Amino acid sequence: MDSLITAAARALAAGDPLGALKRVALRDDPPALALRGIAMAQLGELARARDLLRQAGRAFGAHEARARARCAVAEAEVALALRDLGGQGQALLAAADTLQAHGDAINALQARLVAARRLILLGRLAQASAALAAVQAAGMPAQLPAPLAAVAALTAAELALRTLHIDAADAALQRAAEAAGHAGVPALVAEVAHARTLLQQPAARRLGPGTEHLLQLRDVAALRAAGDTLVVDACRHGVQAGGAWHPLARRPVLFALVRALAQAWPGDADRDTLIADVFRTRHPDETHRARLRVEMGRLRALMAPLAGVEATARGFVLRPQGGRGVAVLAPPVDGAQGALLALLSDGAAWSTSALALALGDSQRTVQRALAELEAGGQVRAIGQARARRWLAAPLVGFTTILLLPTAQPIP
Amino acid sequence: MPIASRQPAQVVREYGPFGDAGAVHGVTHDGQRVWAATGEHLVAFDPASGTTARTLDVACDAGTAFDGTHLYQIAEARIDKIDPSTGRVLATIPAPGGGNDSGLTWAEGSLWVGQYRDRKIHQIDPATGAIRRTIESDRFVTGVTWVDGELWHGTWEGDESTLRHIDPASGAVLQQLDLPQGMGVSGLESDGAGLFYAGGGSSGKVRAVRRPGAPRA
Repeated sequence: MDSLITAAARALAAGDPLGALKRVALRDDPPALALRGIAMAQLGELARARDLLRQAGRAFGAHEARARARCAVAEAEVALALRDLGGQGQALLAAADTLQAHGDAINALQARLVAARRLILLGRLAQASAALAAVQAAGMPAQLPAPLAAVAALTAAELALRTLHIDAADAALQRAAEAAGHAGVPALVAEVAHARTLLQQPAARRLGPGTEHLLQLRDVAALRAAGDTLVVDACRHGVQAGGAWHPLARRPVLFALVRALAQAWPGDADRDTLIADVFRTRHPDETHRARLRVEMGRLRALMAPLAGVEATARGFVLRPQGGRGVAVLAPPVDGAQGALLALLSDGAAWSTSALALALGDSQRTVQRALAELEAGGQVRAIGQARARRWLAAPLVGFTTILLLPTAQPIP
Repeated sequence: MPIASRQPAQVVREYGPFGDAGAVHGVTHDGQRVWAATGEHLVAFDPASGTTARTLDVACDAGTAFDGTHLYQIAEARIDKIDPSTGRVLATIPAPGGGNDSGLTWAEGSLWVGQYRDRKIHQIDPATGAIRRTIESDRFVTGVTWVDGELWHGTWEGDESTLRHIDPASGAVLQQLDLPQGMGVSGLESDGAGLFYAGGGSSGKVRAVRRPGAPRA
């Protein structure tokens, strides 16, 4: 490393990207390009930063594999900040392997974290958990920089929250808070604090006969984990009992029926009320009653392991197996937007048509609600046209490149 | 360029890291102590005990040299002449590479400056900074030192680092010591006897390497 590069890297590490740029702005050799790229990223010029980092990666010689890999990781991180999730997954993992092979454990970990967070942003939670588990199995380097440790913990927390593992999320957030405190980066501390408030906010309403009360995420998880209750979850559109989860997002009529039965429980639900609720008509005739019988038959078959559905004089009643109680969870706020947010809170990527199907609304209604939510930053879209998918806003908005200038990296 | 003699380097001892500094950018030897440039502090340590003797708060981004009285230190795009007893900067000349400079040593009334990615060594006038002549290398040049009339320099490209003894007239490589893979060389100085002190880059260490053909110290 030569003297101006060292001086510029020192300025970057001290949080002075302009000072770093002043020293290397006129130089086009690869280490200078890389430093300029990182400085630009810190200044928020992400598109230019990516350009510079790509140029730097190309300009390094074939024998400077480590420097090239570091540039690739920095570029991927900038792409993540730009929310450009196009194919860099393989290149990123290759860079991680290169860095690991060259004994650069911290940057290798950084690369794997970027890969895991990219998968979360794409809504591929199973792959993301696998990637994160691989990171943890590889072992954290002893002297993990605090900001990186905080982001790793936040990523783990987001995955745990999406899958309703609240204790794991709580523990991860605790670690994140400690690491963020050590890092002393105000934005990061704020991010962790914001994530922790999610645990305290109402996540659902429990509807009882004539009553309702708000539940926090922790109560929701506890309710779903408890074996003694049949939970009809109108947030995620499914039924849970004793650890088994039956998604019904693709069977909107059956879900509406089971929800109506659950809300009437322990009493029975009147046929005409069911028809009015589920088929949305105020003038039921014989065809509707026939259709109700058919749908009830389907529901009975589907619910057989969990609960029986019995006919009564007036209508139908739900009889859970094993003497379980019944609880109905509804989104904390009524309306299309609340229902959409509740559906998306599982972190998966949904198409507009799947959302419309689950909610029983028209695609146009769903699109309108999504557009409003997107404008408010509460949901985001990936892909274009028919490939467009919707996801909840990420918990970890953060890019570590803004924190890890110490990107001593590039020798 | 054929290399006349090549062998693995014998690392005798490691010092550091020093304080909270993450890297060593330059190394020199003042006859008793070894000085290491760590970015914001010049650290002098006793090579026998390894204990830090002095710390000067001066900017030090690359090579360090000692002319018998004063320290010379590359910082950004300049070379500072520093009084080692006070740490005061007495004079400043422009660095010949305009900031691409890596290694620095003093010999025979000249300063010798390594140009990292330019793969060159400049001989300059220590008073004005004027270039007297230039030696070309085929590797990235890091530290530079003279010992017993031999010009040695460090190289560091990718994961490969070596110490090279070159012919100052032709630039031909006379001897080469290969360091283990992944061990960088970021500064070089001989103690005038049987050892080289080599900066270890971002490892923050200084390594003592045996000089071949020298009397055992």
